[in-house]
Order: sequence, then structure tokens, then C-alpha cells
Amino acid sequence: MIGSIVRRALLFAGLWWVLAEGRHDGWLLGGVAVMAATWASLRLWPAAPMTLRFAGLLGFLHFFIVNSLRGGIQVAGMALRGRAALRPALIELTITLPAGGERVLLVNTLGLMPGSVGVDFHGTTLRLHVIDERLPVIAEARALETAIAGLFGRST
Amino acid sequence: MLEWLSLALLAVGAFFFLAGTVGLLRFPDVYCRLHALAKADNLGLGFILLGLAVQADSLAAALKLLLIWPLVLAASAGVGFAIARRAHALGIAPWRKEAE
Repeated sequence: MIGSIVRRALLFAGLWWVLAEGRHDGWLLGGVAVMAATWASLRLWPAAPMTLRFAGLLGFLHFFIVNSLRGGIQVAGMALRGRAALRPALIELTITLPAGGERVLLVNTLGLMPGSVGVDFHGTTLRLHVIDERLPVIAEARALETAIAGLFGRST
Repeated sequence: MLEWLSLALLAVGAFFFLAGTVGLLRFPDVYCRLHALAKADNLGLGFILLGLAVQADSLAAALKLLLIWPLVLAASAGVGFAIARRAHALGIAPWRKEAE
């Protein structure tokens, strides 16, 4: 508990330093803001049991940046070629991630990954719109699931 | 040197914004347009912020610019999913390529 308070307060202090662009004359207000933010974060997101792992975070960020680059380059190419390049379809996929933060992150992140946009979600069934059904979108979604599981400290 | 790097990053960012807008205009339905906007504009913004950050006066100012990226991403990813879900709930069928 104490550990997570200190960690979050340090994080918010770093954020304040960035927002104030490194100036030192605003730390009185900054201190109040840091305390308020720490209090709010503990109310909204209690310390346990959802803990992000640092190694998982690096792995996820790497995965996310590489794949959003691939996705953006791919769709930019399609835009320049016009609708002849498209072969859209809806597909359904059963996901294995537990409910909560993991699934929220999954559906929201999918729209930035190559070829897919999340359309609907009920139970464990996720419906995706794919921009070209010849692309290996299911494998991409599975890889994203694995990266998110790693971020939340679970292995699949 | 840094100015050229910045210029190159800004140009790449502008290209992705252009491509996203071209996709918005040319793609046939709401779902395909979401693909173009979410993915291409995400990269466009990322490259423009990087290009500006390398010219920033201080580390904190550079980080502040880069902080915009995850905030906008979180908003655009969430909004993209919300629009797609609403379109689907309204029964808007995705455009399909006609059989050749």
C-alpha cells in the first residue's frame, strides 16, 4: 500500500514536472495537484490486484509501436490505391483475456493494429471489421492478446 | 542537422495525415474510414510530435509534446470503437467487394 502510494506520487510529480516544462516556481500548486491526483488514483484504481509489470510494459510498448507503424503504413498504401485494394469483412473471434482492464485495452487497441477495428463485444465474443480478409488478422489479434496478458503479469 | 531530422519527421507526419484524409474521402463505408483515420492519423501525429520534440528547448518541453501522443491515442482508439459499435448496432452493413 505505502509502496504504491509512493510510486504513484512520484509518477504524478514527474508528470507535473513535464507539464510545467521543468520550471520550479509552481511546485506549491504542483504539490497539491500531485497529492490530489494520488488520492483520486487510489480511489479509482485500488492498489491490488491489478499491477502492471515493468518488463511487460516495455514489451507491450514495443509491440504496440511496431504494429501501429505496420498498420498505419498498410492502410496509407490502401488509401492511395483506392477501394480496389479493399476486401472488407466482419469476423468473430473468441478471446481468452479476463474481463476488466485487459479487455478494454484489447478492443480499444485493436483499431490501431494492422487490418482490424473492433466492432462489438459481448461475453467472450469479439466482432472485428477487417479491411482485407486476406490478411492474417486473427493471428495479429492473438499476438495482441499475448502482449496484453504480459502487460498485466499473466502468461497465456 | 537536428533541423533536417525535424523537417524529415514533420514531412513523414504530414504524409500520414494526408493518407488518412485520402482514405476518409475514398473508402466506401464508415468501417473502412475508421481504419484509415485511426491508424494513419495516429502515425501522422506521432511523427509530427517527434519532429517538434527534437526542436524543443528543454527535455521537459520535449516530453510534454510526446505526452500528447498517448492521450490523443487513448481518445481516438476509444472513439473509433464507439463509432464502429454504434454503426453496427444501427444495422449498417459493411461494404463488400463485389465478386469478380
